[in-house]
Amino acid sequence: MVKKVLIVDDEPHLRLLYETELRRAGFETMAAANAEQGLEYVDSMRPDLVVLDIRMPGMDGVECLQRILDRDNTIPVVLNTAYSSYRDNFMTWAADAYVTKSSDVGELVQTVRELLHAEPVSQ
Amino acid sequence: MEPDEVQLEEALWLRDAVAAGSVPLLVLEEECRIRLASAGACRMLGLPPGELRGQPLTRFLGHDLPLTADGLPERCVNGRPHELTLRPAHGGAVPVEVVCDHFLDAGGRRRSLIAIHDITHIKMIDEDRVWRLGRLSLLNQINEALYGERMTLEQILEAVLHCVTADQGLRFNRAFLLLIDEKSQRLRGEIAIGPSNSDEAARIWHDLSDQQNDLIALMTRYDRSLKQTDVAVNEIVKTMEVPVATADHILIRSMNERQAFRVVATEVDFPGVEDIRRWLGHTAFAVAPLMTRRGPLGVIVADNAISGREIGDLDLEFLQLLANESANAIENSRLYQELQQRLADLRRAAQRQKEDQKQLLRMERLSIMGETAAVVAHELRNPLVAIGGFARTLHRSLAEGDPHKQYAAIITEEVARLERIIHDLLDFIRPKKILRKLVVVDELVAETVRVYEGKMGEQKISLVLDLQAPGVRARINPGEIQQVVQNLVVNAMQAMADGGRLTVLTRLQTGGVRVEVCDEGPGVPEAAKPKLFTPFYTTKPTGSGLGLAISSQIVKGHGGALACRNAAGGGAVFTFTLPLPKPRPDGAEEADSR
Repeated sequence: MVKKVLIVDDEPHLRLLYETELRRAGFETMAAANAEQGLEYVDSMRPDLVVLDIRMPGMDGVECLQRILDRDNTIPVVLNTAYSSYRDNFMTWAADAYVTKSSDVGELVQTVRELLHAEPVSQ
Repeated sequence: MEPDEVQLEEALWLRDAVAAGSVPLLVLEEECRIRLASAGACRMLGLPPGELRGQPLTRFLGHDLPLTADGLPERCVNGRPHELTLRPAHGGAVPVEVVCDHFLDAGGRRRSLIAIHDITHIKMIDEDRVWRLGRLSLLNQINEALYGERMTLEQILEAVLHCVTADQGLRFNRAFLLLIDEKSQRLRGEIAIGPSNSDEAARIWHDLSDQQNDLIALMTRYDRSLKQTDVAVNEIVKTMEVPVATADHILIRSMNERQAFRVVATEVDFPGVEDIRRWLGHTAFAVAPLMTRRGPLGVIVADNAISGREIGDLDLEFLQLLANESANAIENSRLYQELQQRLADLRRAAQRQKEDQKQLLRMERLSIMGETAAVVAHELRNPLVAIGGFARTLHRSLAEGDPHKQYAAIITEEVARLERIIHDLLDFIRPKKILRKLVVVDELVAETVRVYEGKMGEQKISLVLDLQAPGVRARINPGEIQQVVQNLVVNAMQAMADGGRLTVLTRLQTGGVRVEVCDEGPGVPEAAKPKLFTPFYTTKPTGSGLGLAISSQIVKGHGGALACRNAAGGGAVFTFTLPLPKPRPDGAEEADSR
């Protein structure tokens, strides 16, 4: 069954980039522009994995992470952020992975694959 | 009897009475020559009547005796008898009052009747009185000086001792001042004034009386550095010391009873007297306590070691008075000093605080700058991700040979370069140090667990240490791994409130060292298992719920994983594995970094 990945990021270009790359990797994708929307998608679309940005207007990624886990603590969450400082924040330890944003989206894609036990596809 | 006969009889009586009487009476003729003298007068003047006859009275009274034109003593001056000094034939000087009267003899010539009254006794009292008044007035002046001038404590102490020893003061030869040292609770000699021998004494007193008659000037401007004196007495005073606790010591008693004491040369057998005699090198001395409202400050010890003069009642009395006056001045000065000290401390503290604040502001500014730089760096990342990300996508979708492919490659490269710069910049702002080193796992585990052995004994928990990875080293942050082991051990102990067996084991396996902590508690319920390592999950009323979450994170950071299972026979087993360092291609083990 094709795995569904939810991307939550306030930057539209990055949403497009991640969806493009993840689709190329064989995943189904959906994207939310903020945390509230993201939570709605979690409830209604039941994604298999969430890629979550931290710095967003309104509710931030850390709070969103908690709320997601409250709803379903089995769902893998990848924190994908430009800010490396949050690694020290233990609130983020509940996430399954922490990826620092870079122009090489391959690292994110690889992480998603591993978490969803998909076969690593050579680039 | 005939009136003439009565007159003659009475005249003879008068003559006999006077002649034999003890009242010193004289009858003088011209030029004050003594014609008749009573027995008392003879005794006073020191010559028998035969020899006195014809002597001029001025021989004995000097030329201070005012005379009339015809050479007889004036009757009186200002209605009072003459006060003169009589010098008897046998030597010495006696203060006397001389009453003169004139009469006419049978021949009509003027004669003088003199009555001389020895006023030594009265003089003494008078002198006493004068001296007392003088000293009281002096004390008043001293008081004003002590409180008026802005003197340091040392100057006050010196001034006080000057009063005790100066000629214009209490006239003791030497004075020693001892003060209580609060910290050591001892009475300690502070300062002393006085010559070490009579030659020195003579020299000093001569010098001093030449220079200044004004005691106040002496007190306030005396510059000891100019004099070579007082050295010996100050050496003596530095050796003088008595613990305040020895309550029967004369110096301590003086303070406790607020009483001045005088020790005479013959007195013995009073505690402390022998010590003081030894210090002073003299047997007689006086002690007066320095008392303030708050209690005793110390004592003044004074003696007349040079002149040997006896210490009189008045001397003692004035010493006490002076001590009383001085005590308050000394106390004030001390308090003032203390105050100055505290003020200085406060000023320093305020200064330091100001500096700390400046420092803090500086650091905050730096921190803000750092933060700003960090925020900017992070904000730059997002756009770079979009630029570089899509450049890669483009690159992938373009065919080899298409020049646009190369353009896309260039964009990708440049973005990667920018990302490296940002990464380095952030690293520079907040460098991360990973303190990992090669550590023997078994040793670390054993050390950590042993700390709890005592407590385990109390809780009736038996410990089994089954470490089977001897000498095996892993690259770890020892503090962090210790924290993990502690966490697991404490949890195990808490799970076995009624005692049981706690097992800690290590096993070598391929690529890593496995560490297990097992307890014989109730185990972990299935429902709890998924949440076990999440933050804030706890079953304990006082638990923070962070212990396992942190431990899990630490182990993850070391490349392992913390897991939990229930043992077959009951109880929980917590396991984690630490990867072993990879052998280098040349077969040698990785060396310790740094």
